[in-house]
Amino acid sequence: MQENYLYTFAKRIVGFVGVLFVLSLMIFILARVVPGDPARIALGPSASQEQVDAMRGQMGLDRPLVEQYFTYVTNALQGDLGRSLISGRAVTTEIAALLPATLELVLVTVIMMAVIAIPLGVITARYRNSWIDNAGRFFSIVGVTMPSFLFAILLQLFAAYFLTDWPIIGRIDHTLAAPKSPTGLLLVDSLVHGRFDVFVDAFKHILFPALALAMSGIGQITRITRSAMIENQRRDHVLTLQSFGVPDRVITFRYLLKLSSIAPLTIMGLEFASLIGNAFVVELVFSWGGFASYGLNAILQKDLNAVMGVVLLSGLFFIVANIIVDVILLMLDPRLRLKEAR
Amino acid sequence: MTQLLHVTGLNVAFNTYGRRHHVLKDVTLSVPQGGRVALIGETGSGKSVTSKAILGTLPGNARIEGGEILFRGDNVLDMPRGRRDALKGTAFSIIMQDPLSSFNPVFKIGRHLNDVMYYADRRLGRQSSAAERGQRIFDVLRKVQLDDPKRIVAAYPAQLSGGMRQRVLIALSLLHQPDLLIADEPGTALDVTTQDEIMKLINRLVADNGLSLLMITHNLGVVRQMADDVYVMRHGEIVENGSLAEIFTNPRQPYTRQLIDAIPPLYGAKVEDQKPAEADPIIEMGGVTKVFEQRPLIGKATRHVAVSDVTLSVRRGEVFGLAGESGSGKTTVARMIMGLASVTSGSVTVDGKAVEDERGSDAFRRKIQIVYQNPGTSLNPKRTVGQTLRVPLVFAGLRGKALDDRIVELLRLVDLSASYVGKYPHELSGGQKQRVAIARALAVDPEIIVLDEPTSALDVSVQKNVIALLTRLREELGLTYLFISHDLSLMRNFCSRIAIMLRGEIVEAGEPRDVFDNPQHPYTRALIAAVPVISDEEEARKPRVSDEERRRYLVDTAA
Amino acid sequence: MATEATHELEALTPRYMAWYRFTRNPTAIVGALMVISVVLVAVLAPLIVPFPEHTGAAVNFRVRHSAPDLTYWLGTDKVGRDILTRVIYGFRVSLLLVVGVLAVAVPLGAALGLAAGYFGGWTERIITGLTNVMLAIPPLVMALAVGNVLEPNLVNAMIAITLLWWTWHARLVYRVSKSIAAEDFVEAARLAGASHWHVLTREILPNCISVISVKTTLDAAFVILFGATLSFLGLGVKPPTPDLGSMVADGRQFLPEMWWGVLAPGFAIFYATLGFNLLGDGLRDMFDVEV
Repeated sequence: MQENYLYTFAKRIVGFVGVLFVLSLMIFILARVVPGDPARIALGPSASQEQVDAMRGQMGLDRPLVEQYFTYVTNALQGDLGRSLISGRAVTTEIAALLPATLELVLVTVIMMAVIAIPLGVITARYRNSWIDNAGRFFSIVGVTMPSFLFAILLQLFAAYFLTDWPIIGRIDHTLAAPKSPTGLLLVDSLVHGRFDVFVDAFKHILFPALALAMSGIGQITRITRSAMIENQRRDHVLTLQSFGVPDRVITFRYLLKLSSIAPLTIMGLEFASLIGNAFVVELVFSWGGFASYGLNAILQKDLNAVMGVVLLSGLFFIVANIIVDVILLMLDPRLRLKEAR
Repeated sequence: MTQLLHVTGLNVAFNTYGRRHHVLKDVTLSVPQGGRVALIGETGSGKSVTSKAILGTLPGNARIEGGEILFRGDNVLDMPRGRRDALKGTAFSIIMQDPLSSFNPVFKIGRHLNDVMYYADRRLGRQSSAAERGQRIFDVLRKVQLDDPKRIVAAYPAQLSGGMRQRVLIALSLLHQPDLLIADEPGTALDVTTQDEIMKLINRLVADNGLSLLMITHNLGVVRQMADDVYVMRHGEIVENGSLAEIFTNPRQPYTRQLIDAIPPLYGAKVEDQKPAEADPIIEMGGVTKVFEQRPLIGKATRHVAVSDVTLSVRRGEVFGLAGESGSGKTTVARMIMGLASVTSGSVTVDGKAVEDERGSDAFRRKIQIVYQNPGTSLNPKRTVGQTLRVPLVFAGLRGKALDDRIVELLRLVDLSASYVGKYPHELSGGQKQRVAIARALAVDPEIIVLDEPTSALDVSVQKNVIALLTRLREELGLTYLFISHDLSLMRNFCSRIAIMLRGEIVEAGEPRDVFDNPQHPYTRALIAAVPVISDEEEARKPRVSDEERRRYLVDTAA
Repeated sequence: MATEATHELEALTPRYMAWYRFTRNPTAIVGALMVISVVLVAVLAPLIVPFPEHTGAAVNFRVRHSAPDLTYWLGTDKVGRDILTRVIYGFRVSLLLVVGVLAVAVPLGAALGLAAGYFGGWTERIITGLTNVMLAIPPLVMALAVGNVLEPNLVNAMIAITLLWWTWHARLVYRVSKSIAAEDFVEAARLAGASHWHVLTREILPNCISVISVKTTLDAAFVILFGATLSFLGLGVKPPTPDLGSMVADGRQFLPEMWWGVLAPGFAIFYATLGFNLLGDGLRDMFDVEV
């Protein structure tokens, strides 16, 4: 058996490309079979039938479906997702302007999830059935079961009554002139430009939304880490180390931790889909003004091109996240590298 | 002789699901300085719990309710945690049993060895640098005949063969020259030839370094090679102890005698010869080859030749044994005969008809049935014995009262009472499950039954009963058996003809008497020589093999 | 007769062990009680609500936005309707959604998962491929898109959620079914002349039941959560039907002063999801399965 990263990795990529292809097909069909004429939506109810027909021709809606799909995919590959039916601007341009806000929120959320949930899972497993374990389990089940919107509102209420100065809306105090380059992520850009005041303000703004968004993932991942730890504690290899007097602390934090972080990492990748979904809610409550808010508006206004763009990009988000998770897993788990190369 | 380890009146109970299970009852045993002691017992006798109690690795729900474990006169049970831990790996060490699950799969072998050595050094108050530890680890690995230690420490557990991992486990226990070595069924999961190598290695290390050995095993043949004193355990109690010669030649307890009698002899007067069948052939294989090919979506296809140019014929009414170690292709041969696997080239006929054309037909299914190795997975845990037996009977066209009567009749055939109809598998012992599996195979009145290591998961006393049952059924019902096994002493007595397989080929075939008395192929000789036997007479009559020959056919190479 | 000892085996039947685990788990019992209370309240709603007329589009401006008191235990909303009454009816809507979704999604997902795990080959490739694609879609986004296209209401919310939900069951049952299908007893049943139908329904399915029931219990919680989120975003159940999610959305406009308008329906959702989750967790420990 030889180690073989590349082969395994290439196989995953092929799978993901397939997923993206089927996804694009699905949303294309969905968008074409729905009642409601995109041309009519774009022009509004007062437009005449001739105008609508002309618009259909312009949008290519009168051509065969296969051709339409082919055009859509070809354009999408070149970064053109069509024009918004409402604003008339290119969907890609609109999304690109809002993407950094969401990206920043999601990144902070994911970091929070990993930093809080995995240690919590390890500690609750190590002190199983103690008060620490019970408290940790209670915390994680609250995270899993409490709706994101309720948690977000509770945080806002808490700030309104007890932390009156704490910002609960938007990304940044508008009186601050925040740098907008190079990344569009306020936390990064402020540090690049040495604007510590902006960093602190942006951090205060993002803390509650990220926490609200992270809660369900934290709950889920704490639980999975804990059960993976407990499961692995029963294994013979733990007995081997115990038999030779390797301290429990080393067994837990070196041997078990690495082995038990495989399951939660996998789940973190899969959880990404619902994370993006919850971002819709959290961005709404905190008036975040990101990609998810844009998607929500597009859906409410039946802006089909924008909706397709949002769904496709959400899928892409998910796939990129899972590719990253796969790379981490490949580094963590030699069995993945060994098995596939056989 | 001074006692190195002295266990007296040890009582251990487990609390499982709110109930107390008394698993060790007044266990008393001693290991003298420099002595080799064996603790022998069947599944659930408490022998592994004893070793865990000595080491101090009992699970959380176990409680020591009484007794003493004296190591050089000090009771380890009274020691504070730190002092007790300090004994681990330095005063006494264990050789773990299962070679794969004993290592953490995501850490390299070297990491395990280094950590064990580092923490033991620290407890001994010894300073050691990483480089120096690396050197010491290499030395120990060479001592257990792993000639390329550099490769071993850089490998992940899954990259080493079972035999190599077992050697590393031995090395682990020798990192700090302990006084007492506890071996918990080492090599049990490995092939006979590899197991034999491991036993020889442990024996040599014990002798060379003046260690004391506590050997825990279920295999009496292993005990003969590895022990001077023997303790026999049953249901948590020591039923008998004495010197090796006493126990083997003059056992006082009926249980001990039963254990010894249950072992099929390899040579000598007690060996039974099965009459060779004179009838016409019922199974014929001509030049059969099987290649497994995997074609992934991208990348190169992989080919594995599982069976290569096998020709054999099984006569009606005989017990044809197919012997070989893991990966020899014996199971694939059986699956091709049953039509469960396709043939890459060559021909297979059953009862004169090509399996190729017949497979899947009702008549063919009725002709040939199988009994699996693992009674735990061959019965559906959610279905009663009656429900399991109904399936083939309905298939055979039975309904109503006739069906119910036939179920009872089948149970009677395999020595189970009618009350078993409503029982679920979890209510049955391993032997009883295997009887139900045999009854299921008999239900459609087959002519041939494939027995895929039907007793290898059972204790030796249970094995004897199941084999007796199979022998009786064959005589009563005129069945033909294709018996797949790696247990040569069992095959010597049970089969009327055997074939030895190595790496997909049949290297030798014939009547057991001829094969065992005068083995032609060096692999056959090596295989027979590796079988652990319980008497000196048998040992003396085994074929001789040179070290070079033995190595050549070691399926699981050492390095 | 066969004489091997079975004395220890008889003492611990799987049923006894499962029951032991369940009763030693106080949170599971609490969860069971919470679920029972939600179901009872929902079923008996017409008999127990203090203001039956407040379930619809009633208005009662005199008492709008009153804080909880002895008449209105949980206060009133922006048009003066009793929040307690509407919360109790909200449970009905939530449970209706749960039943509607799971009654279709669970059997469908289980059937596809069973088939994929047992038959393998192209059946397996197509079904697992499909579930993998579905996984990549944020469920909420998809449900929103579908729900909006079809006009937001309870039935369409059900359809939208069901379209996504079966995949989780399919994945889970597939995993179990595949491992069971590899067991010797499945091959033995086939060799003994059993049909595929028999193998699927009698040999494999019974071994999946515990996993399915645990997953279904946990799912009840997630469907409630999901439905509430949809209506919170304005794309689920429409007013004046009393729905917990839209009540939270309504109440949000009057924060932070009228906190009861959000907290009462919000914690009602939490109560129901927590109950199903605790019960599901308890069942998971009880059956000792991985879900």
